[in-house]
Amino acid sequence: MNSAQIEIQLIASLVAIACAIPGTFLVLRKMALITDAISHSILPGIVIGFFITHDLSSPLLILLATASGVLTVVLVEFIQKTGLVKEDTAIGLVFPALFSIGIILISKNASDVHLDIDAVLLGELAFAPFDRITVGTTDLGPKSLWIIGSILITTLLLLIAFFKELKVSTFDKGLAASLGFSPAIIHYGLMTVSSVTTVGAFDAVGAILVIALMIAPAATAYLLTQDLKKMLLLATLFGITGAILGYWSAHLLDASISGSITTVLGIVFLLVYLFAKNKGLISVLYRQKQQQKEVLLLTFLLHLHNHSDEEEERKVAHLNDHINWQKVKSRTVLSLALKNNMITIDNQIIALTDKGKTFTEEAINYIITNKDTEIEKMKDRFFLFRG
Amino acid sequence: MKNTIALLFLSALLFSCNSNQKTENEKLQVVATTTMIADLLHNLGGDSIELQGLMGAGVDPHLYKASEGDVSKLLNADLIFYNGLHLEGKLVDVFEKMESQGIKTIAVGESIEKSELIGSDYFASNYDPHIWFSVSNWKKVTEFTTKKLIEHDPKNKSLYQKNSETYIKKLDQLQQSLIAKIETLPKEKRILVTAHDAFSYFGKAYGFQVVGLQGLSTATEAGVKDVQKLATFIIEQEVKAIFVESSVPKRTIEALEEAVKSKNHSVTIGGTLYSDALGNPDTNEGNYLGMFAYNVDTIINALQ
Repeated sequence: MNSAQIEIQLIASLVAIACAIPGTFLVLRKMALITDAISHSILPGIVIGFFITHDLSSPLLILLATASGVLTVVLVEFIQKTGLVKEDTAIGLVFPALFSIGIILISKNASDVHLDIDAVLLGELAFAPFDRITVGTTDLGPKSLWIIGSILITTLLLLIAFFKELKVSTFDKGLAASLGFSPAIIHYGLMTVSSVTTVGAFDAVGAILVIALMIAPAATAYLLTQDLKKMLLLATLFGITGAILGYWSAHLLDASISGSITTVLGIVFLLVYLFAKNKGLISVLYRQKQQQKEVLLLTFLLHLHNHSDEEEERKVAHLNDHINWQKVKSRTVLSLALKNNMITIDNQIIALTDKGKTFTEEAINYIITNKDTEIEKMKDRFFLFRG
Repeated sequence: MKNTIALLFLSALLFSCNSNQKTENEKLQVVATTTMIADLLHNLGGDSIELQGLMGAGVDPHLYKASEGDVSKLLNADLIFYNGLHLEGKLVDVFEKMESQGIKTIAVGESIEKSELIGSDYFASNYDPHIWFSVSNWKKVTEFTTKKLIEHDPKNKSLYQKNSETYIKKLDQLQQSLIAKIETLPKEKRILVTAHDAFSYFGKAYGFQVVGLQGLSTATEAGVKDVQKLATFIIEQEVKAIFVESSVPKRTIEALEEAVKSKNHSVTIGGTLYSDALGNPDTNEGNYLGMFAYNVDTIINALQ
């Protein structure tokens, strides 16, 4: 590994952490798209900065870009507060308008200058190690590392100082107001941090990767936990994993670093989405299947209960044609009932055990009184084996 | 967690101190940004330099995305040649800063005097970067590049000089054949309509009026009024053909064709011109001489 490779991974990891923190709150507040919005709406800031300085490399351009990002946030909040439209609609209204203003300004006044976002913000992780800060002859390291480092430290300090406020205002705006801190101020604060992070990270790693790093790790963490602290930690972890793994896949494939990191983040999300313990697709499907089998079992037990006097109705062979079950299905239901000691089979005749009887009667009771949710709790008490 | 971050930060500073360890290689390691510059260096240096190109054929330099391998190419380079004049966007700033780290970067655009450059109407010190579309400019770039190669690799001086003389002869021949070809086209027919303003130097050098549908920046798009105005212009001037560029989508030029047709006139799309990048390396348009001849042939044939 040469120094440039280490620096790239370090910058990518710091950006990942700096993005994961505001990203977690944005995902929880259903405002994840604001990052995408900001990455577009900074254009007018850049254009106006250029009109003032006539210099594409002036820091004023980046300053005004950030201001333009904050303006986006303020306008979104303002429109949203009218209550006439939802968050996503407000975002969708604001950023195309700002972006278009930038485009119109360029085509009216500067169509013969190479003026676009790429001309001002580097947005290329591969070149970050070459854009360095030097004082005299001393090399202080890549500029991006310093910018992202300062943004990250500020974000962390703010997070630690206002963790409680952020938490309460994210989950319960009413409570936050009654506790004496204004959710609006916290909201603007968070949005400003997001805006500054977006522009700073944009310069270091490019627009798409910033959006991916803000949203994907937080969304992945959200599948795994409900605890805010754990979610923040997991999001950070996923972000860093994506950054490092992504870098090395780019190395192997000789491909774009940002592109590879984004792809890895997507794959990690997909894996968690499939295999997460509670919210994962596979466990949801498995639970549905289990649920179905248990409903069948209950139907079967009800049938036995109804016909406790008629042996004819309780013959094993009879199940097939009477309740219209196929052989396999009736066999699984029978074995499930047996395993749970709900029934006994004597000479091909099925009878409810005492436990089966109590279970069925309680279930009937709940069904009549419309308390279906109670059945789920009851299953925990009665079942030795689930469906 | 805070400790880990502090640690990371510290280690970054430590690591960044011992950068620039280059493997000693006898050949001069040279990196070129655009295909035009890579072609020039190939002609000048031949096998005595280790040449790496960053941008591939047909890549719009403004939209170039680096791959991981480009990092090592840049890191191991002794000399980096780039166009400059903001052609490579923000990368130009990076190259300027790399100077201070001992990696020598050279903007070939510097070889053209400021008075020869075509400036922006609105903003001073912002120049049109498409300098290669005038053979006399490219000759200056060739001489400048040769001088820089000799400066950094004096032991191959005679080779560079010989190659440079041969190449300049070729450029002179190209210039003569181009002028002869263009002479066959009546003056009033020398109007070149293209997708974006890449051909201003070409127009200035060979007496063409050049009209670009789009501005210099490929990020903006042509407005409806631009298209209509240009359509009227094409009809009034009886322009026979308009041109698509290899590195700009043809959509806008097709819109222009439609606009002219809707006014009951006809204009054909005269072909694809190479603008910001050369053609595929294994074709004749993959080098500067072939590309320029191809462009001029395409223009003359379509406008004749």
